[in-house]
Amino acid sequence: MVQINLPKNSKIQKGNYYKDKTGSKNIKKVNIYRWDPSTGKNPRIDTYEVDMDNCPSKVLDILNKIKNEIDSSLAYRRSCSHGVCGSCAMNMDGKNGLACTKSHSEITGDINIYPLPHLKVLKDLIGDLSILYKQYESVEPWLKTSKVNDRKENIQSKEDRAKLDGLYECIMCACCSTACPSYWWNGDKYLGPAVLLQAYRWIIDSRDEDRKERLKKVADELKLYRCHTIMNCTNACPKGLNPAKAIASIKKMLATV
Amino acid sequence: MKDNNPLSPHIQIYNWHISSLISISHRITGVLNIVIITLICFWTISLLFGNVSYELVLNFLKSFFGKFFIIGISWSFSFQILSEIRHWFWDMGYGFEIKTSNISGILVIFGSFILTVLIYFLGRNLL
Repeated sequence: MVQINLPKNSKIQKGNYYKDKTGSKNIKKVNIYRWDPSTGKNPRIDTYEVDMDNCPSKVLDILNKIKNEIDSSLAYRRSCSHGVCGSCAMNMDGKNGLACTKSHSEITGDINIYPLPHLKVLKDLIGDLSILYKQYESVEPWLKTSKVNDRKENIQSKEDRAKLDGLYECIMCACCSTACPSYWWNGDKYLGPAVLLQAYRWIIDSRDEDRKERLKKVADELKLYRCHTIMNCTNACPKGLNPAKAIASIKKMLATV
Repeated sequence: MKDNNPLSPHIQIYNWHISSLISISHRITGVLNIVIITLICFWTISLLFGNVSYELVLNFLKSFFGKFFIIGISWSFSFQILSEIRHWFWDMGYGFEIKTSNISGILVIFGSFILTVLIYFLGRNLL
């Protein structure tokens, strides 16, 4: 259900202020959401003064710098650091994205960093995505074909392969789903843009023999039609994909087939 | 333990985009329109009760607040209609690129005001 206000235990408090110790003239203030499961306190916003003269270009570099040089207790996920793994998805400057591909020079003023929106926080910038992964599992994201025991190649035409462009690139970073107000209010039932884009990726695959079943399964008032084309997903996708269009394509298939 | 974990902030911190702004306005004007249509129906029915009840409403509509109300209604309907047209294109599978959806969104916003003015002029026999 729509719940605008945060629950009592999630109200954000003022946190610590870490003053710059390097004496740099090029300082940027970075406000970061912190929550430590071991203290039992409410989340807080810590502010760090970061020396930008000695910091590489991305937001993830700032986080690494803070963790290495200022406050080692900061927790966040990161791995590949060039936009392929999707681990460092978070909310920066009011918009979801990957910290490793977002340039901090694009952000004017203080830099605000939060975990992905409307998730249970595990620690600091780490949100719990287990519901999303369960939903991903529910669309059975693997090829279903009777040609399993054929020893021949399962051939796909160039045109059919082209239908997967803009879908297969998805790295499941959850930027889109956690940007979607519908997913905020109905995240337990609505599948959300990321999972629906994946569902469409298998529906449209010419080699898959389960299209009808897949469509039937996803054709649900809550699972699919909670999408009201708010377009936050497409605006958020760090890979430039278009989940809104993929969802519309499913709706169109259901309406025309 | 799990219930103790806080919920990360969402609508409090998320930036508004043109499309999300129009989406919520579409909902609000949709609800408003239902209320307004119901009111208009009641007004029409009240005609059956003769002059007095008709003039009561008319006097209200002629007042400053009443005019504001009518122009508000015109805008609400204009916005809903234009936004709905935008949704039709989406339902047919067009206009999902960020640039296109931003342009169509701006068209809806400006168009709704232009349409309101047109309706106003039409109603006053100025066109």
